[in-house]
Amino acid sequence: MFTSHDAGTTVTSFRNFLPEQYRQTNSLEINHNYLSQQFADHDAILAKIREVVIRGDFTLGAEVDALEEAFAGLCGTRYAVGVGSGTDALFLSLKALGIGDGDEVITTPYTFYATIGAIVTAGAKPVFVDAGEDYNIDPAQIESRISPRTKAIMPVHWSGNPCDMDRIETIATKHGLAVVSDACHAIKATYKGRQAGALGTLACFSFHPLKNLNVWGDGGIVATSSESLSDRLRLLRNHGLAGRDECQIFAYNSRLDTIQAVVARHMLGKIEHITASRVGNAAYYDRQLRAIPQITVPERKQSVYQVYHLYMVLCEQRDHLQAHLVSHGVDAKVHYPVPMHLQPAAAVLGHRPGDFPVAERIAASALSLPVHEFITRDQQDHVVQLIQAFYGRNHANPVR
Amino acid sequence: MAETMQIPFVDLARQFRSLEPELTRAFVDVGRSGVYIMGERLESFEQRIAAYCGVEHVVGVADGSAALFLILKAAGIGPGDEVVTVANSFIATAWTIANTGALPVFVDSGADMNIDPNKIEAALTPRTRAIVPVHLTGRPADMDAINDIAQRRGLFVMEDAAQAVGARYRSRRVGSLGNAAGFSLHPLKNLGVYGDGGFIATDDGALASTLRKLRNHGLRNRDECEVWGYNSRLDPLQAAFAEIKLDRLDAWNARCREIAAAYRAGLSNYAQVPEDKPWEEAVYHNFVIRTDRRDALMEHLGQHGVDSRIHYPIPLHLQEAAKDLGYKEGDFPNVESDARRIISLPIYPELTDQEVAHVVHAVRSFFA
Repeated sequence: MFTSHDAGTTVTSFRNFLPEQYRQTNSLEINHNYLSQQFADHDAILAKIREVVIRGDFTLGAEVDALEEAFAGLCGTRYAVGVGSGTDALFLSLKALGIGDGDEVITTPYTFYATIGAIVTAGAKPVFVDAGEDYNIDPAQIESRISPRTKAIMPVHWSGNPCDMDRIETIATKHGLAVVSDACHAIKATYKGRQAGALGTLACFSFHPLKNLNVWGDGGIVATSSESLSDRLRLLRNHGLAGRDECQIFAYNSRLDTIQAVVARHMLGKIEHITASRVGNAAYYDRQLRAIPQITVPERKQSVYQVYHLYMVLCEQRDHLQAHLVSHGVDAKVHYPVPMHLQPAAAVLGHRPGDFPVAERIAASALSLPVHEFITRDQQDHVVQLIQAFYGRNHANPVR
Repeated sequence: MAETMQIPFVDLARQFRSLEPELTRAFVDVGRSGVYIMGERLESFEQRIAAYCGVEHVVGVADGSAALFLILKAAGIGPGDEVVTVANSFIATAWTIANTGALPVFVDSGADMNIDPNKIEAALTPRTRAIVPVHLTGRPADMDAINDIAQRRGLFVMEDAAQAVGARYRSRRVGSLGNAAGFSLHPLKNLGVYGDGGFIATDDGALASTLRKLRNHGLRNRDECEVWGYNSRLDPLQAAFAEIKLDRLDAWNARCREIAAAYRAGLSNYAQVPEDKPWEEAVYHNFVIRTDRRDALMEHLGQHGVDSRIHYPIPLHLQEAAKDLGYKEGDFPNVESDARRIISLPIYPELTDQEVAHVVHAVRSFFA
């Protein structure tokens, strides 16, 4: 289990603090991190990276152009703009929309820190709306939180499960708001047949190493069909430079590394397989776990195609179950135990426990099980059996 | 001397070929480790480069601009504050200040093309919080004079050392000369990786601790966010490349100084060449000469196979992005005059003596 360090406890414990989700837990049999396995197939990528290095084509360049074109093609958008990370994708999208000081952005408290970090560092105020039973923002509660200062809604397609976009887009249109999709978990997910990248004014993706489509470092991309926003993002990510020497606006430096674009293009060729594996693994877990009364598997809607960046269910005695699984070699994780409105960083917003009861309940009982493409059915059976054993039930014949 | 000789302004492939087996091994090692965000490879580089720069702490970040921006944020600089810097630099020196919400206040350069310490005090107001000297082209700014002003006025000093890794001022490395320093590991830098990268050097433990949070979502640990932050991490893959190259940096910088000495000896009768003061050890990220016939020289060099550049033709205060800051042409005569007269000659450790001689010959033939 993770032991928390307070800032500055000791220099060594704090130095280069490494969040647990990035660390490979080799002692476990069934890991969350499968990157060593993925890397086994690196020869073709290395050869292409070598070409980039020999050409000296480092700042954006042909590989990034090719990736952007392919990515926009996958999303069904006119443009895609590679950036430094998923966080920067969100931040730069807000900046491209001109959102900043004094503005408000509506989002969910049940998300990763970066959603809120992007809003706050852009200068705007995050305004929370509780999650629904699908773990995503509850559209029914959005309108009551809109104020004259609201500029955008930022729905998060949590775990790769698209939000109810028809309702969100209807509200946004009615109130003249932009929709910035946090699609960091949701590559290839669809909502009523539309790709996640085509949902909203802009859709933001992460290529973080543990994402379904990943690179071998930090990276991200924004998909949009707006030419003016795409142009603006290209200025914002590269020092505001209109040419080599002319700085049009004070901007940022947030580029997708060219060698990482090589990795992303390679992975794009595998995303069909990666997604299908995750979807198949999730369906298998669903069937097994629905038989366990202490586990609540969320409703799987017909209108969406979930891509299971995370496979999450709600569990009774979650912390004990997690400890049980970890002690038996299964890298079960909690994403994440403290919702955003209760983070120390959110103190200034003045929220209290109880403000967003659904988000708080999910944070207290959700558990993520390894679901990536390298997991085998035997390993999944093992996970299910451990859960069954924990709750002390006999399930002699798991459903195949 | 072969007139057909082609000398590119940069040729990163030469360096890569000399290190390819080691770099490939690092790539495979990092790849197999499965740790592609932070981790031991990053920490190892941070410790090595901290020792090299002579500072207590190094924090790896996503790029050189992020290094500058995050230092200013960690120092608490923001709206209502003013930050004094020099008007000739890469654009990031200005936007990192502007994006904190502070006002960039420009100062003219001196003969060394770095901020003129004699002109700093006139730019200070009660709102001034920091001075940002830039060690342009790898030549250290006059830090004693700058620190003296900062000390008297209680100002924070951030070195923009993006172009100057390894340079020394009165025998101390840049990066250890102010409160904190921002470095770039951009591929074209003297210590360059294969993508964007940067790092921050400081002796201030509290500042370093804040910076480690700011670069990683403001996280105190996996589950607690202390302050809403950024995502600005140096990839461990790039850190591994940087650590390999760090072993060569002194030799590479020495070779650049050798080339600079050859240029200086060969060209000082024809154009204004950079001085090399006894207390300075510049690392020549660029070798910039000044001449009134700059544009014609550039064309002549191109015809003789010598690629040259201008760093930078438009001063910061005259950029379109700066139009709201209220500066006009004539505000910084040295910077503006230099912008019309400067030209950067090829300089990198892999240049051969024959190529250096060709560059000297090509410049001389223009003035002959």
